[in-house]
This record gives sequence, C-alpha cells and structure tokens, in this order.
Amino acid sequence: MRSLRIVFAVVVVALAAAAGWYFLHPRAPGGENLTVYYTKLDGTTLGSWQVSTRTAQPGEESAARLHDLATYAAVQAVAGPPPDIQAVRFPSGTRVLDVAVNGPTAVVDLHMGPSDGGSFQETGEFKGLVYTLTGIPSINAVQITIEGRTVETLPGGHLELDEPLRRSDW
Amino acid sequence: MNRFAARIGSACAIFVLLATTVVRADTVSYAFERSSITFTHITHTGGATAIGIDDPALRSLLKALGAALTWRAGDRTVLIATSAPEVISFGVGDDQYSIGALTAQAGFAPYMNGTEVYLPFDDLMRALGVAPAGGVLERLLTSVDVEGYGPQAVVVARGGGILHGRAIGDTPDHLVYEFDGVGTTLAPERTVNAGGIRDLQITSEGSVRDPKTYLSFDLAPNTRHDPPQSGSGEFEIAFGANGSAPPLMEPLRESLAVAGAAALAVVAEATTAPAPVVTASPLANAPAAANATVDSVSVSTLADGSETVAIGVTGDASYEWHRLRAPDDRFWIDIKNAQLAGGPLEQAEANPLIALRVRQIDPQTVRVALSLAGDTALAVSPSASGITVNVGTTMVGESAPREGTGTIGAVVSANEPQPSITPVPADEYGASNSGDDTSWKFGPRGYVPTNPKLIVIDPGHGGDDRGSVHGDLQEAVLTLDMAKRVQSILIARGWQVKMTRTTDHDVDATPTSTAEAKKMGYDNDAADDLQARDDIANESGARLFVSIHCNAYINSGPNGTTVYYYKPIDQPLAQIMDRDIAMAGLAKDDGIVKEHLYVTAHADMPAVLIETAFLTNPGDYAKLSSPDWRAQMAQAIANGIDQYAREYPVVGSTQQ
Repeated sequence: MRSLRIVFAVVVVALAAAAGWYFLHPRAPGGENLTVYYTKLDGTTLGSWQVSTRTAQPGEESAARLHDLATYAAVQAVAGPPPDIQAVRFPSGTRVLDVAVNGPTAVVDLHMGPSDGGSFQETGEFKGLVYTLTGIPSINAVQITIEGRTVETLPGGHLELDEPLRRSDW
Repeated sequence: MNRFAARIGSACAIFVLLATTVVRADTVSYAFERSSITFTHITHTGGATAIGIDDPALRSLLKALGAALTWRAGDRTVLIATSAPEVISFGVGDDQYSIGALTAQAGFAPYMNGTEVYLPFDDLMRALGVAPAGGVLERLLTSVDVEGYGPQAVVVARGGGILHGRAIGDTPDHLVYEFDGVGTTLAPERTVNAGGIRDLQITSEGSVRDPKTYLSFDLAPNTRHDPPQSGSGEFEIAFGANGSAPPLMEPLRESLAVAGAAALAVVAEATTAPAPVVTASPLANAPAAANATVDSVSVSTLADGSETVAIGVTGDASYEWHRLRAPDDRFWIDIKNAQLAGGPLEQAEANPLIALRVRQIDPQTVRVALSLAGDTALAVSPSASGITVNVGTTMVGESAPREGTGTIGAVVSANEPQPSITPVPADEYGASNSGDDTSWKFGPRGYVPTNPKLIVIDPGHGGDDRGSVHGDLQEAVLTLDMAKRVQSILIARGWQVKMTRTTDHDVDATPTSTAEAKKMGYDNDAADDLQARDDIANESGARLFVSIHCNAYINSGPNGTTVYYYKPIDQPLAQIMDRDIAMAGLAKDDGIVKEHLYVTAHADMPAVLIETAFLTNPGDYAKLSSPDWRAQMAQAIANGIDQYAREYPVVGSTQQ
C-alpha cells in the first residue's frame, strides 16, 4: 500500500513538471523549430542547434514557404554554429546564392570561398548542410551547384557533386 | 556462493584446458645420426606440431643436411635451399608449399608468432627428406630416378642431405651400393632395361635408429659404369650397355636440362675403373662451380611499343622458361649453371611490362621474372651471348607456348613444345594456379576482377592540381612519393601494380571545359582526371584500388589518418587498412569514414582513399616531411593490402 502511494506521488510530480515546461518554455512564433546540423571536429559526428522560423503568413503558398525555409536552413548551415563551437566549417567567403526546391530535391547554389582543404573539410561541411536540409519534411536530397553550374567535384576536390547528396551518402 | 564458485572454477578449468590444447609451447627430442637433437621452438596447434625457424636445433639439422634457410620478410616467404639442389618454399598464411617445381599440401599454413615464423614440422621434415618417427629423425632415400637414353642411362638418387653410397658388391653382372644411416619407403623393385641395367632393387634393413638402404643393380653382360657422383647432394651413377662407354656426365646432364629435367652442374671424368669407396669430402657442401655468368639485364622499348629484355650471358648455359596464363600473366626464365654478376635487380616498368626482377634463386640458377600487362605475345630468342625476350603488345590465346627450354653459348638451341591443356606450371613462388578463370571471383561481394593479382595505386592530385600546399610540402609530391614506395613493396611481394601516375602530371591531360568555366575555376577537368584514374583500374580489372592523399583543414587542430570508403564492398578493405595503419602507430587513428568521394564511388572494385596525415597540423606536417615516416606509412598500406588479400581470398584460388 505504501509503495503505491510513492508511485502515485512520482507520477503527479512528473506530470506537474511536464505541464510547467509546456506552458513556461519560450516557443518560436508559429511553433516551428528547425534543426541545423554541423560536423564536429572528429570529422564524422554531427552536432546541432535549433533555430526558430517565422509563422506562416496568411495566404502564403506552401511552396513559397518551403523555399524560404530551405533557404534559411541552407544559410544557417553554411554559416555554421556560433564561433565558440568547434565545428568543421565552410571556408571563409562561402555564401548561399540561391536555393530551389524541385520535388524532393533542394538545389543549393553556392559561391565557395578559397580552400585547399582535404577530404576532412569536404566531408564535414557538406554533411552538415545535407543533414540540415533533409531534416525539412519533403526534402530528401540536396543538389549542389557552384555559381549556377553543376560540377562533378570542387577544384582539386574529392566529393562527387554532380549527383544529389543524401544522408545515405555518409 | 558455492554455485558461483563452482562456475568460476569450471570456467578456469576450461580456459586452462583450451590454452594447453590449442597452443602449447614444448620441446621435442630426436635421435639423429647417432646423436640427440632437441628442438626448443616447438608449439602444438590443434594436434599438429609447428617449429620456429629460429630454433637452434633446426639450424643445426639444416646444416647437417647441407641446407640453408632464408626468411624473406618482404614477401613473407621461407626459402630453404637444399643440397639436392632444389628450393623448398613456405609462404606465411599459405597451406601449400613447394619443393622445387612440385606443390604439396601442408597440414596447416605457416604463421607468425611474434617475429618468428612457425612451419608445419612434419611437412618440413618430409620436404627435407627426413622422417620423424619413434623418437628418431631418420634420413630417407626419397627418390631413385633412372633416365635412359638408348644404350646409356643415369641413375639419380635423392634424399635427406647429401647421400654417400658405398660399393659393397661389384661384379660384371651385379652392382650393390649401401647407404648407411638412410632408410626408405620406396618400392623395392623395378625393371629398367636401359643403359645395360635390367633390374633395380631397393631394399632397406636395420632399425630406424640404424637403418641401411641398398641399391642393387642387375646388369646385362658388358655393361660399364662410372664411379658415383655425390658432390651436388644427389647420388648419380652413369651406365653404358654393350661395352659402350658410360656417358660423360656433363653433356648428358645438359641434354637432360634441355628436356626439362632438373639441371645439375656435375663434372666427372669418364673412367671404367672400378668404383672406389666414396668418402665424405670437405667440399661436399660446396656448390658446384657455375660455368656461366649473367652479366646484364636491360629493357628497351621498340618503335611498335613492344619491349625487349636483353639478358647478357657469358659462357655456356641452358635455360628453361615458363609463363602463367591470365590472370597471373607472369613469365620467368631460369638460366641454369649460372651466377648473377652483381646484386638482385627489381624495378617497375611501363606497359606491356609491369615489373622486372632478377635474382639468384639457388647457387646454380639465375631467374629473370617479368610481370606482364596481359596475355601478350612473347618471344624468347637465345644467342651465343645471351637471351632476348620480346614482349609484344598483341594478345595471344591458348595456343601460345607456355614453356620452353634451350641452350646458349657455344651451342644455341631452343625448344618450345606445344602447350598442353594440363595445369599451368607452378609459379615462381611455387604456388600453383588452377588455370580455371571462372574460379577467380569475389564470391559474396559481387565484383569479379579479371586480374586478381593487380593492385592499382593512385597517388592523389598531380600536375596542375597540387592538392594541399603548406610550407614546403605539396600534397601532389608527397602522395607520389608514398605511392611509389607502396608499389615497390607490393611488387617485391609478388603483386602486379599499376600506378595511375608515375610522375607529377595530370592523369587526364585532355581539357574538356569551356574557357568560361575555367575562368570561373569550376570545370570538369578535375573530375575527368578522377574518372581517368578509375578508368585505369576498371579497364584493367584490378583487384583493389588504393588512393593515397594528405589531408588539410582551415586550422591546425585536426590530425591523424583517415580511411575513406563509399561502396559496401569497400568497407572490409577500409577496416583492414585502418587497422594495419593504426597498428603501425604512425599517426592518430581517425578511423574509417563513409563518404561519397569520386574515386572510390566510381571504382568497380573495392576501393579506399587514405588521407595519411594532415599537412595543416604541425605534428603531422613533421611526419609527412620525413622520408622514413612515409616509408613506414607505405609499408603499413602494403601490409593492409596483403592482410585484406589473406582475409578475403579470391574464391577457388590458393594465391593471395
């Protein structure tokens, strides 16, 4: 009988804590968070942080919203996490020129900053970008273009970029 | 508590039992030639006995038998030159071994225990011609061959160590030789009818501790015979029927060599005097003098793309050549009764040759071995001053000769019998090839290499693409350096190696991009270059593709070695490669990483890209600067390739 009381008390406390977190936790406008991934300095493990997105505007088309969401996600992923976080980052000067969503594929057009990094850097930077974009519902692949062109690899690079990248590529 | 203690006790008992039955160090003593010999580097593995090659007693035994052991760490092979003379060859991890041209099945594969190689004891003893039984190592007469040529014949007896026969009966119709301390299991009687020998009886008596074997010849009237010869390790007697003189040993042996028999350098004086009692000579262990010298071996390319290997020989010699069918594509020629002037030679060549090796394989034989790019046309031309081997660019089929013999020097001759459909000859390491091309495949992994002995090594970047450049180091230069080192090691181990580049140039030099694209810095040439590297591997049906790189990052933090792979069939190779490199302790082990890298994704075969170390990390930079470190890395990569070949052998093959 005494043990039943203890169990009951634990359940009540847990419910109270959950309710408090739900009502007191600051939520993004529109209630939508986006997970942005980055690759840690071990070259393989992913880390992430959350960013919030704006609420949907009245009459906003879903395709337009998806485009905005993908663009926002790509920009955040290329920018990388806050500077105090150890992460594999795109070379300085890299920026997103455009993002288009064609069915399940997000096409990300990039301007790449100068780099002579090896496989380590390519692996890390594109892995974070692809994981971020494919975290958006309906997107499962990312096609990289450079200055509007499809390239097979970066100059002197190793990663194949002429085909859409998927999470299964890692 | 009692139950717990009982379980622990049982586990301990099982462990102790397993430990003592699976591998148990031991000593074994035998009586050998009226003295005792104790082997101390002995282990018992699964009921079979293994002996370490550093065992002092084994070395003493080999010396007593007139044999010498050599361990070649490069290709993990134990070679034992016997008094016969022939070479016994054991390869680590290979449960087949060779005795001369014969291949035999061992009880288990030789293995490494620490730095010492352990060989199957019984097989080793059998190959040496001694039989371990009843606490005795009994020397055996292992073969008696009668080679008849009309009215002449030569009887050759072989066995453990140098055989000394003593004539105990010599009448016009009967000749008996006794071999004291030698037993035999040979068939007791045979009819000969050659060279005046009607019958030959082989009998044995005494105990295993004190055996005696007798060769008894029943001779036709007027048969003459020479005194026996045993200086080379074999016991030989020449006979002549109908009053004809017994053959001079040297010319007859030369003719035997032409016929493909083992070549010997035995010089004897023709005499009809009664055979004297043969006693041991202080020079009994010394090799017979060679008559010829291989002075030079050179390679030149002709206008039609074919290559010519010119072997300069001074003196008279016989030769024998063999070539293996695809996918082995190897050729070797043994120049008998010859010494190699200078040291051994080993070098990579361009198509249609892959590699060239020259070495003295035994005191009497110089071997020139070629790895070929394919089943190319090949011509062997003897002359008074040597042999020329022309390797053409056209492919040949089954009708091409696979072996031949001949002589050079004062008498120049060549004999190339039509090929048989029987199994191909043993390769230069003694391993045999079934010749069944359909058996060469990676069963469960789905890739079928058309050349399982070929490894493609890809030095990353090169030419316009310098890769990562930091300080005085350029990735394109470092990768070529390490790749060449890997190439040399693999060739020394018997692999064929194809490099995607051997100099600092683009692999695909054909520009395909538009000027506009080039101006922007993003063109297709880079990928064309990578595809060209894959094409080299794919078109040659190589077994493995290994790309060597140096890593870099925008800061100096990351360091270590990473092995990248992409396809499922790449993963075992990546794991083994990473393990072997990590074992070498050359850099921090960053493990294996799956990544859609171009060269691994587009290679048909198991492929990996090895980022050896970071140019951007000070510690790794210092390592990459060191030629010694790069040599060690190359060694580790080669070891990984060998290890993979052992763990994932080609189905149906005994070769690595």
